[in-house]
Amino acid sequence: MKPASFTYHRPGCLDDALGLMATLGVTAKPLAGGQSLGPMMNMRLARPEHVVDLNDLLELDFVRVTDAVVEIGALTRHHRVATDPEIARALPLLAKAAQSIGHYAIRQRGTLGGSLVHADPAAQYALVAITLDAEVVIRSARTTRVVPAVDFVQSIMTVDLAPDELVTAVRFRRLAPAEGWGFEMFSRRHGDFALVSVALTLRRDGHGAISNLRLGVGGVGPVPERLAVVERDACRLAADVGTIAVLARQAADNVTPEDDPQVPANYRRELVEAVTARALTAAVLKTESPS
Amino acid sequence: MTAAPFTQIGRALPRKEDARFLTGAGRYLDDIAPKGTLTASFVRAPHAHARILAINAEAARALPGVVGVFTGKDLALWTTNLRLAPPIEGLHPVEMTTLPIDKVRFHGDPVAVVVARDRYLAEDAAELVDVTYEVLPAITSAAAALAEGAALVDDALPDNLVSHQSFSAGNPLARQTEAARVVETQFDLHRHTHAPMETRGCLADWDRGREHLIMHIGTQAPHPMRSALASRLGLSENQVTVISPDIGGAFGQKIALYREELTVAALARHLARPVHWREDRLENLTAASHARETRCVTRAAVRADGRILGLELKLTEDFGAYCFYPANYMARVIAMILTGPYKIADYAFDVKVVLTNKCGNGPMRAPMAITSWVMEGTIDAVAHALRLDPLDVRRVNALGPADLPYRMATGELLEDITPLETLEAVVAAVGVPEFRARQKAALAEGRLLGLGFCSVVESTTYGSGFYKAAGIPGSGHEAAWVRIEPSGAVNASVGLMGSGQGYESPLAQAVAEGLGVMAEDVNVHMGNTDVAPYGMGSRGGRGATAGGGTLFLCAQKARDKVLAIAAGMLQINDTEGLRLFEGRVELMRGGAWEPTGLTLADVAKCAYLDPTNLPEGVDPGLDASLTYDPPPMTYSNATHACEIEIDRATGALRFDRYLVAEDCGTVLNPIVVQGQQQGAVAMGLSGALYEEVIYDATGQNLTATLADYTIASAVEMPNIELIAMHTPNRRTPAGIKGMAEGGIMGAIGVIAGAVNDALVPLGVSAQAMPFTPPRLRALIRSAGSGAPDIPRKERP
Amino acid sequence: MTEPVSISLTVNGATHDLVVAPRKTLADVLREDLGLTGTHVGCEHGVCGACTILIDGAPARACLTYAVQMEGHELTTIEAVAKSGELTPLQRALTQVHGLQCGFCTPGIVLTFEVWLRDNPDPDEAGVREALSGNICRCTGYQNIVKAVLAAAAEMRRGAGA
Repeated sequence: MKPASFTYHRPGCLDDALGLMATLGVTAKPLAGGQSLGPMMNMRLARPEHVVDLNDLLELDFVRVTDAVVEIGALTRHHRVATDPEIARALPLLAKAAQSIGHYAIRQRGTLGGSLVHADPAAQYALVAITLDAEVVIRSARTTRVVPAVDFVQSIMTVDLAPDELVTAVRFRRLAPAEGWGFEMFSRRHGDFALVSVALTLRRDGHGAISNLRLGVGGVGPVPERLAVVERDACRLAADVGTIAVLARQAADNVTPEDDPQVPANYRRELVEAVTARALTAAVLKTESPS
Repeated sequence: MTAAPFTQIGRALPRKEDARFLTGAGRYLDDIAPKGTLTASFVRAPHAHARILAINAEAARALPGVVGVFTGKDLALWTTNLRLAPPIEGLHPVEMTTLPIDKVRFHGDPVAVVVARDRYLAEDAAELVDVTYEVLPAITSAAAALAEGAALVDDALPDNLVSHQSFSAGNPLARQTEAARVVETQFDLHRHTHAPMETRGCLADWDRGREHLIMHIGTQAPHPMRSALASRLGLSENQVTVISPDIGGAFGQKIALYREELTVAALARHLARPVHWREDRLENLTAASHARETRCVTRAAVRADGRILGLELKLTEDFGAYCFYPANYMARVIAMILTGPYKIADYAFDVKVVLTNKCGNGPMRAPMAITSWVMEGTIDAVAHALRLDPLDVRRVNALGPADLPYRMATGELLEDITPLETLEAVVAAVGVPEFRARQKAALAEGRLLGLGFCSVVESTTYGSGFYKAAGIPGSGHEAAWVRIEPSGAVNASVGLMGSGQGYESPLAQAVAEGLGVMAEDVNVHMGNTDVAPYGMGSRGGRGATAGGGTLFLCAQKARDKVLAIAAGMLQINDTEGLRLFEGRVELMRGGAWEPTGLTLADVAKCAYLDPTNLPEGVDPGLDASLTYDPPPMTYSNATHACEIEIDRATGALRFDRYLVAEDCGTVLNPIVVQGQQQGAVAMGLSGALYEEVIYDATGQNLTATLADYTIASAVEMPNIELIAMHTPNRRTPAGIKGMAEGGIMGAIGVIAGAVNDALVPLGVSAQAMPFTPPRLRALIRSAGSGAPDIPRKERP
Repeated sequence: MTEPVSISLTVNGATHDLVVAPRKTLADVLREDLGLTGTHVGCEHGVCGACTILIDGAPARACLTYAVQMEGHELTTIEAVAKSGELTPLQRALTQVHGLQCGFCTPGIVLTFEVWLRDNPDPDEAGVREALSGNICRCTGYQNIVKAVLAAAAEMRRGAGA
């Protein structure tokens, strides 16, 4: 299990990297943490002619928190996202999601941008990004563009990225102090990709009822999806056990998972209900004792 | 019972291996790299069953750095076929070439081998080997294999039923007519694979001048490996040396001589260059060896009080495509020992082993793994059918002290086992009434708690008598030597080879006890066939009894000579009243041991360097050797208990408690034994809950990576509480029984018991492993709604 | 270039000048070119954790890293963990409570927890199990590894407090 031959490039800064991507085009594959690309190359499922190593682009390893936005560089490792105190304050939902990625050693190398571009249907960042309407910052030697996460992630392992482009950052809206959130997943083993994952945020109105629910589900389709119907119907419902059960059931009714002999569609739908209920419970609890 | 007053046996001595393993100084196969070594990489079949029409390797051979590409036809010139034809009734003889020539029989079957300067180049070349196949129908289940007109997996056989044996003692059918109930239960254990952390591999080095093959290979059985290599290469056994370095786990996967290893040895000889092969993980999971895929159906004829009057077993094993072992080997042991801790005189079995287009089976740690699940699951089903307490049904059937020794219906002799005692020990430790109260309260909240029990009678040491009686070829004896060098240093050797168990300390303890020295001062050498005596290697639970026992007896033989020389040096008439203790010769005087001033080193010096001073009739040197054939079988026993909770919504299973009371007789080293007990339980649980080799309907293996063949991690595994019991075996040296496989038998059985206990309120039961969340959820969903919608085993 | 390139690697404090193919994994270069065979290769797809080493003090899979990437980084392998032959508290605890059997996964576990314990000096069992979940052990059932890590943490806290 050894990779096929490739030519190695190690640009020292973003501009050089973009220059290489422009020159090499489809023959090149950018390499960040290598935790997904590495296995694919070792198994020769990926065999790029050129590998452009992004690990020296330290300008892409950053966390910037403003009043409204948490912007995170594409080369920021999962471990930093999981443990950064600023992220823990401004976007604890993302921190919790990052903590659940793979394993300790994997999180030391894997990157935000790498995971997002790899676009595994069950991956954490894409789910959180889509749930929070995050924006993906993309650069090439030609231009810079900003794409909503929901448009960026197109299908299984397919994203809106031209051969000469690199993701440089992701911009998340920071959570309001009164905003509750939940991130829950169900996987076969700890650290495995989720069979179902749920990310959500909600607020409570003056009467304690639910308002502004954002609900994203991962693992059930080619890309993580927002359940708009549930989000809409949740408005003004009392934040109690009964509502949680109703919304969780509604979430399950609004997904169409693929049937897999190991994980039948009806089972995955049941997981959506169970995992959504847990995430809703966690979020409601947070709005009751904000801390 | 109290153990004999040993001073070295039973010490909790840390392992001698640890220091080197902890510092990266272990020496495993890949750490040995002679200059100029070439690397082999195999081209493997992408189809489950296909005729090989042509192999074109021109492009591969043309690649710089490639030394050659070889196929089954080449290997047939340099090696003989493997023919397995033991005279066993109902077992078809089978024969295979070293590499397939006419057809491939499973996804991953090796069809050609590339030899190149390094592995990267070898894989580049392997991609370029162009094989033309004609795809044949794939047999992917035992049922399909036995169907009328099924395609033949092995064209030389009349059908796919490679082995079929029946047995009956007493009259089980008559018992059914007398019984209050006949309870039928089915058990489906799925396909596992061993997945040692270090995959298979070897380094073959042909010494052209001496015409001698040095085979570096991690093997559990160095001498049988040498015999097989010599025979199939047309060499004499004095032209082959097998050297086993440290092994990163084996679990039964590193016993037989496999086709890849023989190919590499033949290539080293043909090319007169050292050739190395390291199986990668994809190959290991798809093409090394598989295990366990077995269906059992029992019919128990029972009295109203749960007493089992008669028992029938029907067993079908899906053996895969090739027989590296006689096909009856694993299944037969299950049938022989099934009744285990229970008194069942009327017993019959019918055992079928079939070939399919999957990787061939081999013995995996506890080849009889399913046994305890089948017996205890039958007991639980009886209890459920009769509305009896499962513990009471166990008690009414269990062998008690008064029943021993007990001759099982199959002829096996049980003695010095304590199944009732281990059962009562875990029952007391669990606190069953308290658990039932917790279970009831939880159920009122809709939560599913379960408690299971599983008693295990583990066949550990297979003596030659067992093999002969069971119609399995092989011997169970073992050989050792113990040598005190002129300086007094103690060397010893035995024909075992450890693969991680940690033999070095406990076997040194056996030698030290027999000889009368400190275990720290003994070095046990294993794995090199030029050094070790011809032994049968490591398999089953024979290490302690066969290996430790033989060393213990051999060390006693050496001690006798030491004391004879010492008596002469001390000018006393005989050795009565003399002992060697911690390397010093002591004399009994007035009821107490007193020093004589003589040490083992003094005696050794005399034996080697001053032989004219030896007592009359004593030969120079201090070198003992000995062989020992253990009883036909030794047994250890245990009872496992575990408490679980199943999440109704997701089918996820959580451990609340796991405990084992185990009686494995005299223990050489309790640290090592506890490690084996914990490790075996974990391997059993991981297999029962997480692992499964999956083939689709066309025979494609879907679990070729460790992301797909999912071994439990630290998060999934429980802590295991151990209750140690030590009833010595009266027939073995030092009362040793052996252990290390029973933990798997117990784990598989107890998890099934706990799951089904949790499911009782729903009126459903789980009969097919692995117990994955989707499967358990399907059972929960099906409760009260007709047939369960169990996920299919195969992807379309 | 796909052709071998000259690189300089700093491993366990020593610098080595090497010529390696870009595709050659760090695990293979450590083992074959530098003779540091304590780094074990168990799966080559990042799951088993046996090849875990430290890159600039952080645990990483040597099978998912190419040696060419490592110029300018500090690498640490199992061979450098016991300073001048003296086992660390973690290594000592592993042998005292029998936290290893075949030893193949052990170097990866030692390196992972030498770092993890620095960041988590007072861990609980669940935390240790979570961190250990990235290393597959086929022999021990993990119980004694967990016990050893907890014991080492306690020992290190005592050492730090003294």
